[in-house]
Amino acid sequence: MADYINELLEGRIDFEGQKLVEKLMYYVLIASTIAAFITGLALQSLSLTFGTMGLSVAVLAVAIIPPWPAYRSHPIKWLPASPQPGKK
Amino acid sequence: MHSIFSRLNNGSSLLSSCLMGLLLAVTLSTFVFTAEPQGNLTIGSIRVLEGRNPRRYNQKQEVGVVRFNVTADLTPLFHWNTKQIFLYLQAEYNTTEGVQNDVVIWDRIVRRKEDASINVVAKDKYHLRDVSRTFRGVPHAQYALKYNIMPYVGVLTYGEVARTSEAVVFPKLGEL
Repeated sequence: MADYINELLEGRIDFEGQKLVEKLMYYVLIASTIAAFITGLALQSLSLTFGTMGLSVAVLAVAIIPPWPAYRSHPIKWLPASPQPGKK
Repeated sequence: MHSIFSRLNNGSSLLSSCLMGLLLAVTLSTFVFTAEPQGNLTIGSIRVLEGRNPRRYNQKQEVGVVRFNVTADLTPLFHWNTKQIFLYLQAEYNTTEGVQNDVVIWDRIVRRKEDASINVVAKDKYHLRDVSRTFRGVPHAQYALKYNIMPYVGVLTYGEVARTSEAVVFPKLGEL
């Protein structure tokens, strides 16, 4: 039971998933910063700037923090166990 | 990026850099919005009366009472990064020792664009007093209406709306 809870809290994802999450985080954060600035400047409202920023950060957090199945669809394929361990 | 904690850690680290960049961009954008607000300042009358020193009760002190008329349109100063505007009327004079004194005699905080059209006929809010307790050595003073823009993000900017076209003479004690 304790192992199961630990596993759940750790939220491990595979290597392909990590690559995807990193790209997603990088592009979405920078794009939303620029979009927030332009929106606020165009409509002359600072609250709109920070609203846009906050909303996109919330959406991004939901998208990348939990270990969604999409990030775990490429599990590592280990070689089959050697039939005689310890012997070459 | 393998666990929830490392994703949170990396994400918040990049987020703080992005927020810093955003705040810097907002600060820099403020310098683009330059406006010259129009205004007019006339001094109606000035009297010098004898009052008491607020700190030493038995000491006499000269107090200038200034009546003035201020019209100003501060609407162009309101842009996306303006939180409020501090508008103040300042008396500027040189004493006989050559010391320049700036004394704020009236102010107003303008918080909304709707309140930015100023039309005030009033008396000084803060008494005009000198450190030497007298205006005897001061022939005249200039009056200037100045503003200070307080932004949400960035630096304070100062400016001047209006100024009396010629120096206003200080009357003798008790004279109008």
